[in-house]
Amino acid sequence: MKQTLKALCQLALLWAIYAACDWFVGATGAPVPATVLGVVVLFLLLLAGIVKPQHVQDAADLLLKHLVFFFVPIAVGLMEWGGVFYEHGPVLLAAILISSVVPVVVIGRVSQRMQRTRKEAGQ
Amino acid sequence: MTAPPPGQTPTTLLCIGITLAAYVLVRALYLRYRHPLLNVVALGAGLIIAALVVLGIPYKDYVPAKDIMTVLLGPATVGLAVPLHRYRMLLARHGAAIIGSVALGSLLAMLLAAFLAQLGGLPREVVMSILPKSVTIPFAVEIAKIYHGVPPLAAAFVVATGTTGSLLGGWLLNLARVSDPTARGLAFGTVSHGQGTATALMEGEQQGAMAGLAMILSGILTAGFAPIVVWLLGFAPGA
Repeated sequence: MKQTLKALCQLALLWAIYAACDWFVGATGAPVPATVLGVVVLFLLLLAGIVKPQHVQDAADLLLKHLVFFFVPIAVGLMEWGGVFYEHGPVLLAAILISSVVPVVVIGRVSQRMQRTRKEAGQ
Repeated sequence: MTAPPPGQTPTTLLCIGITLAAYVLVRALYLRYRHPLLNVVALGAGLIIAALVVLGIPYKDYVPAKDIMTVLLGPATVGLAVPLHRYRMLLARHGAAIIGSVALGSLLAMLLAAFLAQLGGLPREVVMSILPKSVTIPFAVEIAKIYHGVPPLAAAFVVATGTTGSLLGGWLLNLARVSDPTARGLAFGTVSHGQGTATALMEGEQQGAMAGLAMILSGILTAGFAPIVVWLLGFAPGA
């Protein structure tokens, strides 16, 4: 009971941060998703020690464990978009394959190079 | 959210029931076999669509159920700051390498996807939906919305990318002779978000932590770079 109440208060805090960011984005028309802004704001509040991890972590961990659940109903919307895959399948496949393969190799090579340089510099 | 018309409530409850059942079933399957092809979003949505078609429920009758079930998505996504804060020491220690390679990788993934899609003659709303395909779904859906993309399509492209990266990532990194665990984790997380992070975790704890960090950072950086990429697209062929 006490655990549930605590998690609900934490959820309310997460909600308040999201709602504030959502309002800000709506009011300013900033081309940034409210969720992205919310993550940055909460991260800064945590770094500054204004919000302590124990003020949010139970609710956050529970929601993140099931984060993928929210996308199941969103993806059901594909029902109305099947034609796009039928019509443009090869282009979509090529775009997704190439834009996945190239960055994996580039990031791997670049960050490995950076790690080695750092080690050689004796850091 | 408007109140459903009378007679709609049972359908909405049925839709929620079907969705929960599909989620529980597919999640149990994934937790048992942990194969990248057993994607909870793709498989779950597939089962639900099949059920709706069999029951003769059109998509518009599913929408109220979707709206109810996604009410907590915003606060849940904000919760991603908690793991980011948990890994802050890792971020402080490898800061330049992480931010540099994640920035380069997200920009490259976005440019390649959007330019190829536009070159291939895809409609503009599809191009805007493929743009954020390397970031985790909560960010991708929101970024796509800003540029008039289609959220379910964005989610589908994210899943396709996550599956590609999880299936081919390890092999590609071996081929490119990338053995450093930090570098491998960053590559997995930046390109293939949550699915890549799950695969990186199977390689090792350090790979997993770096991938989780890269996933969140690439979401933030992609949102930041998106206006530039959309602007550049205006000069590319096919615009």
